[in-house]
Amino acid sequence: MKGRSYDVVVVGGGHNGLVAAAYLARAGRQVLVLERRPVLGGAAVTEEVFPGFRFSVFSYVVSLLRPEIIRELDLPRHGLQILPLESTITPLDNGDYLGAWADPDESRRELARHSPRDAEAIPVFGRLMQRMAMAVRPILGVVPPDPASLAPSDLRGLLRLGRHFRDLGAERVHALYKLMTMSSADYLDEWFEFDPLKATKSASGIIGTFLGPRSPGSAYVLLHHYMGEIDGAFRAWGFQKGGTGAISEAIARAARARGAEIRTGEGVERVLVRGGEAVGVALTSGEEIAARAVVSGLDPRRTFTQLVDPGQLPDELVEGVRRYKFRGSSGKVNLALDGLPDLTCLPGVGPHLRGAISISPSLEYLERAYDDAKYGAFSQRPYMDIVIPSMIDPQMAPPGKHVMSIFVQYAPYHLTGGWSDAQREAFGDAVVESVARYAPNLPSLIRHRQVLTPVDIERITGLSEGNIFQGELALHQLFFLRPVPRWARYRTPIRGYWQCGAGTHPGGGIMGASGRLAALEMLQAGER
Amino acid sequence: MTVAFDAIVIGGGPNGLVAAAALGRAGVRVALVERASQLGGQARVEAFAPGFSAPGDDGDSGWVPPTVVRGLGLGGLARHDPDPCVTVPIASGAWLTLWADPTRTAAAIARHAPADAARWPEFVRRVHRLAGFLARLYQGPPPDVDATGPGELGRLLRLGVALRRLGRDDMVALLRTLPMSVRELVEDAFEYEPLRAAVAAGGVRDLRQGPRSGGTGFVLLHYLVGAPAGAVRGRGRWRAGPDAFVAAVAAEAARRGVTIRSAVAARRILVRDDAVVGVMLADGTELAAPRVVSCVDPAHTLLDLLDPVWLDPEVLHAVRQIKFRGCTATVRYGMQRLPDAGADAEMLRGVVSCTPTLDGLERAADAAKYGAVAERPHVEITVPTLTWPALAPDGQHVAIARAQYAPYTLREGAWDHARREALGDAVTAVVDEALPGFSSRVVHREVLTPRDLADRYGLTEGARSHGELTLDQILFMRPISGWAHHALPVRGLYLGGAGAHPGPGIPGGAGWLAARRLLRDRRAGRYTLTTERS
Repeated sequence: MKGRSYDVVVVGGGHNGLVAAAYLARAGRQVLVLERRPVLGGAAVTEEVFPGFRFSVFSYVVSLLRPEIIRELDLPRHGLQILPLESTITPLDNGDYLGAWADPDESRRELARHSPRDAEAIPVFGRLMQRMAMAVRPILGVVPPDPASLAPSDLRGLLRLGRHFRDLGAERVHALYKLMTMSSADYLDEWFEFDPLKATKSASGIIGTFLGPRSPGSAYVLLHHYMGEIDGAFRAWGFQKGGTGAISEAIARAARARGAEIRTGEGVERVLVRGGEAVGVALTSGEEIAARAVVSGLDPRRTFTQLVDPGQLPDELVEGVRRYKFRGSSGKVNLALDGLPDLTCLPGVGPHLRGAISISPSLEYLERAYDDAKYGAFSQRPYMDIVIPSMIDPQMAPPGKHVMSIFVQYAPYHLTGGWSDAQREAFGDAVVESVARYAPNLPSLIRHRQVLTPVDIERITGLSEGNIFQGELALHQLFFLRPVPRWARYRTPIRGYWQCGAGTHPGGGIMGASGRLAALEMLQAGER
Repeated sequence: MTVAFDAIVIGGGPNGLVAAAALGRAGVRVALVERASQLGGQARVEAFAPGFSAPGDDGDSGWVPPTVVRGLGLGGLARHDPDPCVTVPIASGAWLTLWADPTRTAAAIARHAPADAARWPEFVRRVHRLAGFLARLYQGPPPDVDATGPGELGRLLRLGVALRRLGRDDMVALLRTLPMSVRELVEDAFEYEPLRAAVAAGGVRDLRQGPRSGGTGFVLLHYLVGAPAGAVRGRGRWRAGPDAFVAAVAAEAARRGVTIRSAVAARRILVRDDAVVGVMLADGTELAAPRVVSCVDPAHTLLDLLDPVWLDPEVLHAVRQIKFRGCTATVRYGMQRLPDAGADAEMLRGVVSCTPTLDGLERAADAAKYGAVAERPHVEITVPTLTWPALAPDGQHVAIARAQYAPYTLREGAWDHARREALGDAVTAVVDEALPGFSSRVVHREVLTPRDLADRYGLTEGARSHGELTLDQILFMRPISGWAHHALPVRGLYLGGAGAHPGPGIPGGAGWLAARRLLRDRRAGRYTLTTERS
């Protein structure tokens, strides 16, 4: 093996890998990050897809990034700058709209137009969700103890967790239990009567999962998306100036500032294992790099079946990875526009275009979109979360032009008959037509169109089945079961080989928690 | 006119009878009131056509917890174990049958999918071990985080120990399986679609959801509690007749001095100063008692029988949110002859599950989400006369079809004669596909929609389950958060029906626990107080 050797090689320059690198470097380790693509960030990248038009290609908004990471890595100094995304407009089928604005009083007044009862309920609901998020937050920050283990650290962790729940009290634990087990539609039914409100709220319960709003388990994903609303660091959702890639860049700068080395355009072929220990990596170029430890930010399938020989792993783990559910279910359509869309329900240019536009007119609309996907088709009338980043950050598009990001659900990875170019375009057409029902001028504004199916997302980013969370956030794939029981503490059976991607606890979104916890766990274990 | 008792039990189904008998044995003066002229609730046997009669459900015995069997001295009741358990059609005139003997089942599977056959015995053993843990959980009050006092904590600790004693693999499997969808569970285990569908159908019993829904893994295990080793469906049938259990418990109750009033409904649970004082019957009679055990469902108990004015708004809200969502219909057939199963006639001794694909199960559930009846419902058919010939005239038979999904509330229109018969036709058509020529042997048919079940058995929204068996409505959440230990938020009022822990399919399980709770409170010389566990 030639070249210099490192304490730790991080495979994959996604945001979790970069966070892990930054923490390891901060602790004085010699760290090298290897990213296959020319850009850093994994699914959090900004790319100039069409000349002059820059897109957050995959992810598009941010809210979950852990405040302790922002603090500990001093990210604002390295370029983190979140611009608030303050409103959400849901166009309704009767030509009206439902708006949620930055000012809670204004939102309440707006909701009262549709349902005075819901307007009264919403602040109470918001407070409850906030309390629930607070109750879960400590869990996001701990290494999950294994209830089946007798190791002192696991027992201590379990005890701490037990105490945490006892301290919460029965009432809050029961409320949390409901959120963990119910469908978002049922959960919201207990609170609200105005269907488009329930639809819009439940939409965040289905993002990135192969669940419909009536599927049990979707309420948890709803909560997952509320976590960002708490710390006071951000308000609800935001845009990173320069796109989500700029978040990755900021983390990378923080890592470099502490001495980490980062190389792009360097794909890792496999992890070198000798005598049951990771000793370095071999690159696709043939180069071999020695390291005392290797940490993979890739998803569990690639971490365990591609980077290493599964033959070296226990059957139980290989079997666990085989049955781990990815089931990519969302696509993305990025549009370069000559002008701004004109919503029938709210004509003209206004502050509403600076926020999100949610195509979720009713629960049934969302559920039927799911029904299409269940049987292997993309939704003819999909759920869409639309933002126009150039309204807030003009550098994303040439003067007078705009970029529109459309997150689309559902587009199943396993499309009946497979994804072809024709299918991709048909999917893109369905998306544009579905938006055009509410913004008829949109088709005439489109200068360029990028359509990304889960297969495209997999091909470009490497995320298995195009799942943006590195595996579904289903109850049986969380906490000490993520990604696989016994191997949920960032370790692997190969000494010196670690995992730090969103396929580990606590999972997806631009959160960074997996990377941080993995790094801290490695440091505590002395990397080995 | 007022008659005084120590306790009144409302509802003469298995739970009500068990509660009454348990209280009677403890020397409590008990009256039991039942709306129908016959005891048994959903288990009662009724004529549905001249010469033909049937139990209210499909004749499955359910699982009577050993605590109840011992407590009431019911050890003499014998069961036929289900064998075969379940059969699915795989093509016209061909079926896959799963037997009680895993080796025999593996041989049947091996003809289609050798790899699945190899996995079958271990799969069955594992789900039974997991169900065995639930069995333990179901014989005491539900464990809860706010357990206080050494007794409760000790029980929690013992449960924890029992969980760990399952061993590492089973413990993890249990924690994974409960929230899973039954579809994922069977897809992880097997490749052969009819096998997957045959097993998965057990996970959607009486739910409004399809097999893709989280928590259906739990439902599969729930209905396997008490099933004979090797069986993946059904807990067997009472040898002495479909109502053998009801008759035995009713006899025990009578022996213990329980006063049984049938053919008169309870109209009101009487309350004074936040405490129960008795029950008023539909005929105007008032039965005075400081304690009432309601074994009808929680919504009927708290919203109809009780004046809701006695409930806190939070409790009222929670009760109104209980999901009932009855969507199972029952069709009873009087048959001239047995349906023709060719050389596989033995399969009619078990359940014939007419949906051979997971997507078929899912599609049947889709319509119900939008308030419509499935075009091709999922139907499970049984022939009780093979066990109990007396249900039909000599040489003739009764077939019972359970059909999902037919929602209680239709979006378009309401249940009427035409819709009821259209549902019956759809069910018959499905059975005809699985058992060709079935319909030509039918001489009588009775269709019971969830609406009819609601009227006939007093079930809210026609839900046989007394509340859907979803993860958010079990254990410490059943019937509602904070009141899961069989006492309800009015002093002296208890819930002992399937709407309480441990839920449906467990005759006497909830009734027994409610009686125990009442007796404990009584021994302590107090009513239940406003906080549940004080």
